[in-house]
Amino acid sequence: MRDSRRGRLVLGVLLSVALVALTIDHRAGESSPLRQLRTAGATVLGTVQQFGVGVVRPVGAFVQSILDAPSAQRRIDALQKENAELRASLVAGRLDAGRAKELERLLGLTRDKGYKVVTANVVARRGLPGFEDSVQIDVGSADGVQPEMTVLNGDGLVGRVLYTSPHSSTVLLISDLASAVGARLEGDKEIGVVHGVGENGRLVQFRLLDSTAPLSRGGRIVSFGSKDGKPYAPGVPIGIIERVEATPGELTRIAYARPYADLTALDVVGVVVAAPTREDREAVAPKVAPKKEKQR
Amino acid sequence: MIGWLSVLAALLAQVMVVNRLPLPAGGAPDLVLLTVIAAAWTRGPSSGAVLGFFAGLLADVMPPSAHLVGQNAFVYALVGYLAGRGIGGPVPTVVLCVLLAPLATAGVGALMSDPRVTMPMLSTQVPVTIVYTLLVSPVVVWLATRSRQVRFLT
Repeated sequence: MRDSRRGRLVLGVLLSVALVALTIDHRAGESSPLRQLRTAGATVLGTVQQFGVGVVRPVGAFVQSILDAPSAQRRIDALQKENAELRASLVAGRLDAGRAKELERLLGLTRDKGYKVVTANVVARRGLPGFEDSVQIDVGSADGVQPEMTVLNGDGLVGRVLYTSPHSSTVLLISDLASAVGARLEGDKEIGVVHGVGENGRLVQFRLLDSTAPLSRGGRIVSFGSKDGKPYAPGVPIGIIERVEATPGELTRIAYARPYADLTALDVVGVVVAAPTREDREAVAPKVAPKKEKQR
Repeated sequence: MIGWLSVLAALLAQVMVVNRLPLPAGGAPDLVLLTVIAAAWTRGPSSGAVLGFFAGLLADVMPPSAHLVGQNAFVYALVGYLAGRGIGGPVPTVVLCVLLAPLATAGVGALMSDPRVTMPMLSTQVPVTIVYTLLVSPVVVWLATRSRQVRFLT
């Protein structure tokens, strides 16, 4: 064994230092002195990532296209079918009213409702072995992004901003096990909480607080508003219920939902940097049964 | 110097490319771990532990990070020491280190009562990562032993 006594001493010192750093970071929380180290790292390495992403993006797209090849044909078929349907509905002249209303209900968020969204690209992703699900995006405090802002894409809710540096920010995805999002069922406004369950964002867990409320497959979950739209803007679609768990004797009911946003293949996302003024608020949530809205 | 640069390159490649690939079964190989093992293997236990510690610290501050600073530093220092010491030949060393690293990460996370360390996570995600990492490891072992031969020759 090569210099094993000295090696052991070095190892002991390093492990102690790591444990001390862990403890300080854990106990100090927001005011942690290590936060500055993290911010410095995010600034320097985030810049490197932004330069690098232009180089690696074509590579990633190429590999992804190979991996997606088996499902591509199915997707083409589905898209062709959808295209035909759309063309038919265009010819029939019934596109505008019905579909536009449905899309608006589904998305819940449009620019003319007073939400200001900054678009961003995902430049890096963290999965295992840190046990966390987070991505790095290429907008930061210089673009008006602050911690605890909603992040979404064209399909639905993605997560919230955790840290920012001048030109990049870290986003905690809703599939992260430490993430909890206030949510409600779109139809009857029953409220609950969406937790991440890992699994690479294929499913999220929805815990309905009222155990007597109806909960069925295909139900849509949207986010539940918070003060000033932070950390989550109200009415952003989260997912669609795939499976309802039988939980006899428990005070809450559990369902598993598939997120609308494809969390494994995130690219362009938007950060909600400004909530609408008070008057516009009402229009944001899907327009169903306003009388219940007031109680909550 | 080459070891440090390759660790940095592996870190960037890990978060920018590898983790973003939608691989089957939802996992990705841990390139940083393999690079630390390989670099430590050529350096010996004490400098392996130092290299592992700083690689882990870098991994802790590399955005995006939502965990506590020091978690990876702890694990990679341990792995660097073990890989530098060597446990009977390269193959057992690599396999043992690859098996040990996620478990140690989970252990440190559990110590800090991290809500992300759960039984389903350990029983489904961790084995997938270990398998992917082991699949990639021959390339890294080959690179490491090759670079060592080159160093002995020159």
